[in-house]
Amino acid sequence: MVEISIENLTKNYGTLVALDNVSLKIGSAEVFGLLGPNGAGKSTLLKILVGILRPTSGTIQLGEYDILANPEKAKKLIGYLPENPSLYTGLTTLEFLQFVGKIRRVADDLLDQEILESLKSFELEEKRNSLVGSLSKGMKQKVALIATSLHSPSVLVLDEPLTALDPKTRVSVKDWIGGQTKRGVTTILSTHDLDVAQMHAGKIAIIDHGKIVAVGDVESLRRMANTASDARLEDVFLQLTEEKGEERTRH
Amino acid sequence: MRYWVKGRFTRATILGLVIGEAFSVIFILFGSSTYLSFSNRVGLSTGLSEVALSLFLALFLVGLIQSGFNGSGLPLSASDVDYVFTSPVPPREVFAAKVLLNSLTTVLFGFPPIIVLYSRFSAYYHTSWSAAVLAGLVTLVFLVIGLLLSADITLSLGHGLGERKKMWRNLFIVLVMVVSLLPMTLLIPGIPAGIADVTRVLPNGLAATVSVGLVSGTAGGLTYLTDLLLLFAWLGVVLLLGVRMSRGHFYDLLEVSSTNTEKFDRPNQVSQLDPRGKSIWSIVRLKEKILISRTREARAQLISIIFLAGFMIIYALSGSFQSSPTSFLFILFIIGSFGSGTASRWIEKERLWILKSSPVSMRRYVKEVYRARAAPLLLYLAPVVIAVGVPLILGGLSQPSLLLGVILALPGALQIASITMAGGMFFASKYGQSSTEDILSSQAQELADIRRFLFQTIINLVMVSPVILLVFVSAGLVAILGPSYLPILALGLLSISIIFTSFSINFLLNKAGDAVTGREDL
Repeated sequence: MVEISIENLTKNYGTLVALDNVSLKIGSAEVFGLLGPNGAGKSTLLKILVGILRPTSGTIQLGEYDILANPEKAKKLIGYLPENPSLYTGLTTLEFLQFVGKIRRVADDLLDQEILESLKSFELEEKRNSLVGSLSKGMKQKVALIATSLHSPSVLVLDEPLTALDPKTRVSVKDWIGGQTKRGVTTILSTHDLDVAQMHAGKIAIIDHGKIVAVGDVESLRRMANTASDARLEDVFLQLTEEKGEERTRH
Repeated sequence: MRYWVKGRFTRATILGLVIGEAFSVIFILFGSSTYLSFSNRVGLSTGLSEVALSLFLALFLVGLIQSGFNGSGLPLSASDVDYVFTSPVPPREVFAAKVLLNSLTTVLFGFPPIIVLYSRFSAYYHTSWSAAVLAGLVTLVFLVIGLLLSADITLSLGHGLGERKKMWRNLFIVLVMVVSLLPMTLLIPGIPAGIADVTRVLPNGLAATVSVGLVSGTAGGLTYLTDLLLLFAWLGVVLLLGVRMSRGHFYDLLEVSSTNTEKFDRPNQVSQLDPRGKSIWSIVRLKEKILISRTREARAQLISIIFLAGFMIIYALSGSFQSSPTSFLFILFIIGSFGSGTASRWIEKERLWILKSSPVSMRRYVKEVYRARAAPLLLYLAPVVIAVGVPLILGGLSQPSLLLGVILALPGALQIASITMAGGMFFASKYGQSSTEDILSSQAQELADIRRFLFQTIINLVMVSPVILLVFVSAGLVAILGPSYLPILALGLLSISIIFTSFSINFLLNKAGDAVTGREDL
């Protein structure tokens, strides 16, 4: 069980402010949805969280570890799925998963068992000796998901896990996310699919232009947006991001 | 055409090409002088021979045929298929524009080094400069024939060509390759010299005959005219074939690679990466070896090794090694600098998320990748160094002042190859392109590439210069201390040189690891 604490996180790319003083608290075993328009800063936030990017200022605490001070220890806790996961196309599915498992310190006796079970649950057993490059997009996404969770991480960071997937694969990915949350894994889910956010996430943060616009459960977001109590998350999202957009224009 | 030219010839690219040209010219001057020294010494012929040029052009032709089979004979990208072929443009015009663009680049940038080569030989034969220019033009016609042939082969790879036709194509290509390389058998004692004449029906043989005739002042008469006409006939045939194949929707014939759908000869493989009982780092090395063996990189590596080994052997045979081991190392460095570009292939680009989100040290990771990549190069070059070195050392025993230089230069060759490879990895980490897909980033990358090439060459030269310097001062040291100190000097200087190399490699690879960790676009 791992809690995540993000404090005063800022990331600048030259003059562009990608993240502006972002602070968030994510409870252990919580599923946290991250919503925002394209270019809002979601992926940047997630990349800093998993240690791929360094922030300009601010801190991130994963359980007892600071990702900047103790990157190797903190990374052992995390499973990360990027928006467009690029895999080693010249390795077979089995080789790829063995490689990832090994560099993520999975014990030899557990690794094969874990890989075989995961391939079975994603119906990829027959593709174990196929080169990753010869797999379809949906299959590659499944392989990436397996790689993300091979080391049984305490924190899952998923960046748009459902983008451009066919309906069947979407269902299996949604089931997988559901399974992980039941295991008590702290999950951060960035998505454009508001239904998925509403279904899985206990708490949602809306980010726009690098700033957190609103945080809370769906009910409290509805109140913040002054929408009806049965308003769809889509309407709440549009209301909140438009309001802030107008505010910025006025300033 | 403008669309492609715009994407290809930015100011940065032109600057890069000019730098490349300068390097080619320097290399050709060194190469041609070495060749003249070699041919005079060994007594194969006096000066430039038709056979040697024909073989040289044959190797070029084989390379083009290879690239044709690799699908790059007609350089089209996935975005060309999406945007150019879906536009109302006649396919033949697309074909013509692509071939013209390719040929233009080759003619434009191939001409200066070719002219330098022929001018060097026309000076040797005391013929006029106009003969060198004409000979260069004939060779350029050959290059265009090669490019067209390569484009034809790429077009014939698709499903449009029937199985029977494909069989005939393959037979024809094999015949061209075998006949082109036949003169190599002349190196075997007792083979009749007339065997080289068979290449006179092929473009490389024809171009070599006419060019050598012009540059040596022996051209003229009906035979040369016939050869020239035959050469143009080849041009006409390959052009006609290409135009014929590019009728209709010729993109159907192409196998354009895209990031989502990759084609593999054998999509199923037996797993070679059994992690049981192995350390993380041996798995990293194993992964690297598997990836190299399953891609074209293995071939590129083999070509580099053959090239470096060939250079060492020719240099030793020509006697240049013994007389100047320092220049040997310097030329080796120049060759290595071109080859170290292949070190950039290690960079994982979009795949770095796997490593950067894993609990691994990037410094250590880079070192293990280096071990996996440098080991085969050194493993294959070491026997060549020994084979070249033993007769040189035995032959030089009577001249102690030269002997020390030779003793230091032989392992120095391996040291320089190792340092330039580490340097290549560092610069790839610092400036290597982050994505192959993004057009904007790839254009910005051209600037980075030029910076990288310049910095890389300068920094690598600084890094290897102590190794070269030791060889340079060795003769003086023996002269000052006397031949009796030779064993101690050899042992001492060799140890210093090897320790320096280890430190340099470690320094460069640490920098490479830090550069990857710090890169925000990867």
